[in-house]
Order: sequence, then C-alpha cells, then structure tokens
Amino acid sequence: MTINRIVETDAPEDFIEEIEKVQSALPKRIDANPKNVERGLAKLVLTLIELIRKLLEKQAMRRIGGGSLSDEEIERIGSTLMKLENKMQELKVIFGLKDEELNINLGPLGDLM
Amino acid sequence: MNIYTYAIIDSKERLCDYIIGIEGAIVCNIAYRDIGVVVSKLGEQIQNITKDHVLKHEEVVEKLMGKFTVLPVRFLTQFSREEDVLLMMQEFYNDFRENLDRVRNKIEFGIKIIWAGETIRNRIIDAYKRDNANIAIADSSPAKNFVKEKFEKYKIDKEFAKEAEKCIALIVDFFSRFIAEKKLEKLKTDNLLLTASYLVEKERQEDFKEAFERARRTLSDLKFLLSGPWPPYNFIVLTKKTDMFNGKSINQNLASEDVV
Amino acid sequence: MDSVITESKDITLLEILDRVLDKGVVISGDIVISLAEVDLIYVGLKVLISSVETMERLRGAPFAGAMEEPT
Repeated sequence: MTINRIVETDAPEDFIEEIEKVQSALPKRIDANPKNVERGLAKLVLTLIELIRKLLEKQAMRRIGGGSLSDEEIERIGSTLMKLENKMQELKVIFGLKDEELNINLGPLGDLM
Repeated sequence: MNIYTYAIIDSKERLCDYIIGIEGAIVCNIAYRDIGVVVSKLGEQIQNITKDHVLKHEEVVEKLMGKFTVLPVRFLTQFSREEDVLLMMQEFYNDFRENLDRVRNKIEFGIKIIWAGETIRNRIIDAYKRDNANIAIADSSPAKNFVKEKFEKYKIDKEFAKEAEKCIALIVDFFSRFIAEKKLEKLKTDNLLLTASYLVEKERQEDFKEAFERARRTLSDLKFLLSGPWPPYNFIVLTKKTDMFNGKSINQNLASEDVV
Repeated sequence: MDSVITESKDITLLEILDRVLDKGVVISGDIVISLAEVDLIYVGLKVLISSVETMERLRGAPFAGAMEEPT
C-alpha cells in the first residue's frame, strides 16, 4: 500500500482496549430482514422510552440537589424511578436487547444517548 | 450489476491513473456536471466481506486524495444501476459542491487521549463518601435508598465530567491556532477522555504535528494517539434528509426483502 | 523518558474502521447489506488482535511494531 498515513502512539494496547469497548455495541445499521422487523420496532420504541426515563431521572436528581423536596416527595420520586427502572429491565429481557443497543445514531449529531 | 462507490471528487475527467479496486475491478470516474463519483462496476454481490475489502476501499480513496479534493463515501455503498447513481448525484449535487469547496486543500487528523479515568473516579468516590459519611436519611426505605444511590452516582458523574472538561480544555488549547474545524467526542469510555477529529490545511500539517508533540511532552500524564492524514470523513455535512436507518425511509427499511 | 512510538497494524485498522464504516458521505445505495455481513469484519479483527496478544504473552515481549497476519 502506498499510503503515507501514520498512526502513532506510545500506548497501542491501551487504545485498542478502549476503542474495542466503544465498538462492542452492535453496528448501527438496522438489518432489513423481515424476521427482525419486530425487534427493530421494539428497539426503536424502547430506545425512546429509555431516553425519557433517563431524562426524568436526571431531572429528579437536579431537584433533589436543589434541596427543595420534602421527605414524602423524595419517597414518591424514588418509588416511581425504581418501578420505571425495573420495568425497563423486564422489557429489555423480554425483547433480548442490551443496554448498548438502545441507542440511535443521529449522523452528524452523534448518538442520541 | 453492482456499482460500488468510493468517493466524490472535484473533477469530471476520466481518471488518468489505472487504479485497481475492490474484487480486482478497475476504478473509474462517472461525471455529473463539474464533479464526479468514483466507482467500480462489480459483476455480482461481494461474498464474504472481510477487512481486506475495507483496506482496499481505503487504499482507493487515499490514491484519489493525492490528486483531487475527495469526499470519501461510506464503505459498502452500492447501486444496482448507473441511472440510480446519477439520480443520487443530482439529489446531492449542492451538498457535494458545498463540501468539496469547504474541504479543498484540507486533511483530517485524529487524536485520541487516554487519562487515568478509573483512578480519578475512585478519588472522587472516596471524597464523596468522606464528605457525606454523616448524612443520614430519615426513615430509610427501599425508595429512599434507591434515590440515595442514584443521587450519589449523579454527583460523582457530574464531578467526573467537570474534571474531564478541565483536562480537555488544556489539550485543545495546543491545537486551536492550527486548525480549520474540529469535532470533539468526550469520555466515550471512562478512560478515553477525548476522541478528536481536526480538519487542517495541508500547508499547516507540520505545525499541527509539532503542536501534537508539544502537547504530548507537556501533558505527560496522558496517553496520546495521532492518526492521519485522512480524507475528511468527519467533516462531511449533508443537508438533504437521510434518516437514521441507513438512508432509507423507515417504512421501506422494515418492509423490504433481505437482499444478500 | 523517551516513549516507544509504534506503528501498529491493528490500531491502524481500528482507526480505518472507525471512519469507513459509519462516516464520510452516508447515503442510501439501493443495495442493502445486512448487519451480519458487517459483523464479519469485527469478528475477523478480534481474531487478529487476540492472536497477536497471545503471541505477545507467549513471547513475554511488549507489543511493538507491525506484525504479520497469522496465516
């Protein structure tokens, strides 16, 4: 190969390790095989639900950090968040989807989550 | 027939050099107005895609880079008819024109930085536990414990991100004078502090490489990786809508037959 | 104080894959390649990297320099 491109590093193993962690999620092109249509739909729906769940969680944390919530409110928020998380886990198991798969690539904007 | 696409170039002329591409097929330029799309015509589907196909694809693009302004096309972009290729060129002409003008005489460099993420996270966790050891939550319950754990993680993540930002600011400072555009991805993993792509003028590439060496010497706690020059993979902007699922409409994707 | 600068074939391939599989001009060709076929590249790459690491362990040497692909 007549390429004058360099890849230069003093720690190749470390970078290989980290890059592999990032690339271990499935490639983001969706299989157009009809057999996987259901899975594709489930993945899309669950991704959106997961996004909302994470936003709710983050919002709750901000409010708690603000220190303006009563004991009862904290109890209620905690209970809701717990149930949401458990439900998501169940759904992931039912559809055989892993955490890394629940993401959407928005091209130049990067990944949704 | 399978028209395999490598790149868009800023020329409508026939290629002077004889380039062999994927599956031993010759590489040629299909003109559209004042630009062209560089392709190979394959007799049939590629069987058994391997990394050699990837390397060959990249090799063709690199050879083009020597002579033209190049917009590299994603690997495995193929069309069944030449008319479809020309339709595509028509649809994206304005985008291609804009991108070619923007990246002319510029090349891409990639920088990746590893920091002691795990160590830093542990330090933050220890500090947090020390500062919060004596805070009791009244009437502990599963829900309250859940919240306590989530909140702890939230605070620690926040602090971790803050440390990362400080470190990243130090790094990007070395390069800002020598670059046209940049694209930064922060903390793709706890240890992979920064994945950066830089668009650099060809004449400034030595300055850029020197800046890299200075950064590497100065920030000696960090691990550095430099790669390049690349064609501008990370600096292509298409305004025409392509959806998130491989450029087809969602209905089309989910309904189409498996083509293998 | 001098660190060892190495040009490694494997890290080069990872850098290429990082760009070529998902970036550049991303448009719809009308020939769709299914996911499984793209996975083949990753599988092949992991096999190469594992065998390189195995060789390193057996030799007891640090990872350095371009390596020939195992046949």
